Amino acid sequence: MDFSDNLEMLMVRYQQGDFSAAAALIDCIGPRLHRFFVAQSISRVDADDLLQETWLRIHKVRHTYRPGEPALPWFYAIARHIRVDHYRKRIRAAARERELEEMSKGASPAQPVSGADGELETLLAPLSLSQREVITMLKVEGMSLEEVARATSSTVGSVKQKVHRAYKKLRETIGLRTGKSSSGGPL
Amino acid sequence: MKENEIDNVLSKAARAPQHPDPTVLAHIGDSIRSSMRPIRPLPPAWRIAAGMVAVCAAVALAGAVRAGLFGIARMGLLERLLVFPALVIFAWLAAGSFAAQMIPASRLRTSPGALLALGTAALLAVFAVLFRDYHTDHFVSAGIACLLAGLFHAAPAGLLSWLLLRRGFATRPVSAGLAAGTLAGLAGLGMLELHCPNFQAAHILVWHVAVVPVSAALGALLGWAYWLRTRQDDR
Repeated sequence: MDFSDNLEMLMVRYQQGDFSAAAALIDCIGPRLHRFFVAQSISRVDADDLLQETWLRIHKVRHTYRPGEPALPWFYAIARHIRVDHYRKRIRAAARERELEEMSKGASPAQPVSGADGELETLLAPLSLSQREVITMLKVEGMSLEEVARATSSTVGSVKQKVHRAYKKLRETIGLRTGKSSSGGPL
Repeated sequence: MKENEIDNVLSKAARAPQHPDPTVLAHIGDSIRSSMRPIRPLPPAWRIAAGMVAVCAAVALAGAVRAGLFGIARMGLLERLLVFPALVIFAWLAAGSFAAQMIPASRLRTSPGALLALGTAALLAVFAVLFRDYHTDHFVSAGIACLLAGLFHAAPAGLLSWLLLRRGFATRPVSAGLAAGTLAGLAGLGMLELHCPNFQAAHILVWHVAVVPVSAALGALLGWAYWLRTRQDDR
């Protein structure tokens, strides 16, 4: 039995009201979702909050998981929904802060909302949000194209396209850092 | 730089520990412990889709019986054999798309927007081949009456379909609304095809078919309003 089979079995037991299965899922999936949030340039404190929010939502809609279906994309689909909401709230908050700043003349400069400074986040920083989440799921979490497509409510073709564009951008930025050109040869 | 070199850089960067605070995980466990109870999972998507197609067919049929089955009575065998199966196939795909939008991590073959565009184009092609009376009498007045009648029947079909999937969770409410609106619009179009005896090509191609995109747009608008409301509740 591999890890993913185990997840599906735990999910079924969770739906049957088994708390030990829920606790095992929290221990197993919690850190992965946390890393997913941190990789989206979300500060560790916000990632902790989002993780709690995600689990409350998972608990509320756990009946929407259908036995026999892959569980990992289901978890990520809900985490992604929470992350998108957080991103929109952050944009609104930033807009409000800007308004307040313009109103008060001697205000101090705004602090960056994100506090994430890990290596992975720095590497993924030049990518768009949608490219970042696809790369995180595919290359960091080791999900398949089909699983990523399910988690992001898109088609496999659309995921492939995002990965292709993300790699193009990564090739340029990593190439610049390591001194290799995007075509593969030295600069 | 090669793809596997980028993979190596990414996997090396991802190895850095990024664990959440253990108290957070413990707090999550504590917060859900009191509400642990067995729950009934949603039925398979095909069963939900079949239920929604049946509901839409029932609404279309009931509306047409009430208003009179003049359209189907005037149709020839070929028209009946092409129009209604095309509507059922499109409704089945739209119902599947709506179910996929309401069940997280469902497999998506086409987006609801693409399905609407392709399905509407297919219906236009079927109608354009079958109906070749190019006269236009009372184009606007008769057309608006049909459009409103179609939308009037789309509303209960959409509401009943949503009731069937009320336990679902839309991660993208606007897309879910678009898919639901498309399905509801097909119920309205089905009612018009059963009832309306006006076989002028322009009337059918413009006003009958318009029920589907207009209903889909209204559905997307409702999805957007729902999303705004839940966002305000979260504040």
